Amino acid sequence: MSTETSKKAAGRYGMTIDIDRCNGCGSCMVACAVENNVPPAESGATDRTGITWIRVFQIDNGGRGAEKRSAFIPMLCQHCGDAPCVSVCPQQAIDVNPVTGIVEQMPERCLGCRYCMVACPYHARYFNWWDPAWPAGMEKTLNPDVAPRMRGVVEKCNFCHGRWHAAKQAGTSDSLSAYVPACAEACPTRAIRFGNLDAPAADVALGSQDPDSFRLLESIDTDPKIYYRSKKKWVREAANAPRPGKETPRG
Amino acid sequence: MKPSRRSLFQFAGGAVAGALFTPAPWRLITDTALWSENWPGIPRPRRGEIRAKFTHCALCTAGCAVRARCVGEQPVSLAGVSGGLCPFGLAAHHLPYHPARLKQGSASEAAAEVARHGTQGIALLDLNPGRTASWAYRRTMQAINGTYLAEPEPFAVDLRGVKTLLSFGVPVLDGWGNPANVFAARGSFHLIQVEPIESSTGVLADEWIPVAPGHESVISQAILRSLQQGNPSGLARQLVDNGPSAVLGDLPEIPEINRLLGAYGKIVVARPEAPVPESWKKSAASVTRLADLPDNSVRVLLIDEASAVDYIPWHRIARKLVRENPLVVTFTATRGGYARYANHAIPAAVYPEILDDIAPPNDRIAASFRLSVPLVTPPAGMANLAEFAGALAGVQASNSLRERVGEIHRLGQGTLLTYADGKETPLRDLPGDDFWRALNAGGEWVGEPSRTDPPSLQPAPVPSAESTGDLPLVAIAQPHNPPGSPIMTKLYQESNLRLAPNRIALSPADARAAGVRNGGRAVLQTRLGKCGVEVTVDPAVPEGSVRVGASPGIQDVCGPAARAKVVSA
Repeated sequence: MSTETSKKAAGRYGMTIDIDRCNGCGSCMVACAVENNVPPAESGATDRTGITWIRVFQIDNGGRGAEKRSAFIPMLCQHCGDAPCVSVCPQQAIDVNPVTGIVEQMPERCLGCRYCMVACPYHARYFNWWDPAWPAGMEKTLNPDVAPRMRGVVEKCNFCHGRWHAAKQAGTSDSLSAYVPACAEACPTRAIRFGNLDAPAADVALGSQDPDSFRLLESIDTDPKIYYRSKKKWVREAANAPRPGKETPRG
Repeated sequence: MKPSRRSLFQFAGGAVAGALFTPAPWRLITDTALWSENWPGIPRPRRGEIRAKFTHCALCTAGCAVRARCVGEQPVSLAGVSGGLCPFGLAAHHLPYHPARLKQGSASEAAAEVARHGTQGIALLDLNPGRTASWAYRRTMQAINGTYLAEPEPFAVDLRGVKTLLSFGVPVLDGWGNPANVFAARGSFHLIQVEPIESSTGVLADEWIPVAPGHESVISQAILRSLQQGNPSGLARQLVDNGPSAVLGDLPEIPEINRLLGAYGKIVVARPEAPVPESWKKSAASVTRLADLPDNSVRVLLIDEASAVDYIPWHRIARKLVRENPLVVTFTATRGGYARYANHAIPAAVYPEILDDIAPPNDRIAASFRLSVPLVTPPAGMANLAEFAGALAGVQASNSLRERVGEIHRLGQGTLLTYADGKETPLRDLPGDDFWRALNAGGEWVGEPSRTDPPSLQPAPVPSAESTGDLPLVAIAQPHNPPGSPIMTKLYQESNLRLAPNRIALSPADARAAGVRNGGRAVLQTRLGKCGVEVTVDPAVPEGSVRVGASPGIQDVCGPAARAKVVSA
């Protein structure tokens, strides 16, 4: 990966996701959609054309009967330290926040060329195939801190930047330390933890050092900031596939 | 030099050509994108003062404490106070705007028709028993000599006291109890999950025992026999050796297994209810289970569906109605449930529009009292069954919650938890008005833990065996789901994390045999009828079975372990 075009950040906000604690309830997906004003699925939307900034995939060990075991892997933008999407964007619509290390998407600049979607090895970027629409009255429930995106632009997880700005504006150390994305806040099993990977005492920093933790596609050297953890060897091996789980095409 | 018309054109042409070598036109392209961001068709979020309100989720008896982030008076997101929420609870503030919401229906016309029918043979079906409104229903039915119908869950389980928990398909880790309570206790018990498909609970269980659909009772009967003979082996030995143990599920053997394991009165106790005024108890009709009611005996049936935490298949209800001209009035928020069969479907307010209390939870052994405080104003024209039925009997129900809170305060036991400041206050230190205000601000009263009441042993009804001839598949039913926001399509449609309510899942071999394809439409047929469904082909579904969604339409024709057939639509 070219380091000339990538932007290195001073901070490192990241996540640890304990796969052994995830039961695939989907709370993170719903909390994310609510927080970030992602509209309900259009009637024709599928798993390929829908917008789910965080998506939970089910994988299994290939066993049959009592030998079969499953696991759930939440997939979101990995906020790579050396993000392939940044260098390919002709509009400079993708930026790495120098303070947080968060890979930010600016849909206002996006032309919808989708180069970034091609470049992302984690398939964690989504294109708006439809104008955003909510059932009548439901637009009253939109989060005022996040602007809805239009048709024709790409969007993705930004660690709930609306929350980050609110914490920054509050300006206290408490507000910054309480900053947490919606998915981590919503997780009933506490499988998702969020924080500064460079703070040695932070849960996430300790979690990232766990001997059972791993990152997806480490071999391509994108330096992702999402650390997964599982004690199960088959999970660690399966997670090395580009997009875990078998997708079921829907008509 | 005198400027000519030609030189003017030359200058303009040169300027245009030269501009192409400046950043200006390329910048314009970017700006075009910026301008188009603000098309009028894109909704703009409201702005206003941001504040937090506290309430309790009324979608199920878990009654999770909720912090609502509001812009002005409008909730824009919900979060758990002491832990995460389930996906249904997280998006419950969308429910008032659900496209399937029932908006039309006249309570006065329904009242007139009930008056024409008279109150003889009247019954009220409560699908969320154990609330203060349930006591109002019971008092009303007693006053007019009617029948109060409910299927109350009889017991609660002390998850902090159990060491081994054997679950027959109960979604212990996904919707059965309050996630914060369940996962706080999760590290202290060994969970064994018996079910045909590895569910969300099975994935995190310590052991998952796959079983052929409809054959769960083979295991429960073996455990029971083993315990009765006093020589436990296998799973029974594991339960005895690693006690205290308890078993969860609907199988008829389970109450007796729990008794033999010594779980009754210790791990499994009668579900504790917050105190109610003595006068209510004296004037309340008894609780009648639907199965205990004679067939063809109900002339007028009122249904509280708006706050339902369960769904009873219509055929079980229909057989209790008189054959000639029965009257069914349902108070509901959706067109999809009993509104399809009722003579009158009356629109009713839903969570989070209505002040209500939460029925006792099944994952705690201490009584509690929690209010679901309205976060938004209900639309005009919403009716209320407690007031509707109260008017029939002259029972005043509008002040019931205040009366009950007064009774709890009079007894002076327990503690008040206030989530806004995280304080615990002994009830005896609080004036009555402050207690009421604190409950309306999202507080929770928690009583003393009770381990003294073993629940009554009521064996579950055994479903009759069906012949297998022309119905080759066995149904694997999903647990009942609360009503879902349209945003749940993220889980149903844009991923396959959960089975959509109107979907079925088949193994590839069974899909081929039935001539249906993934994403196609089909008809699900059982002895009770048929229902149009969408199909998911899922290799995780065992051959010879069909996993069915939890829509009312499917539940009406297809219960757990029912025989079924799928044909192409």
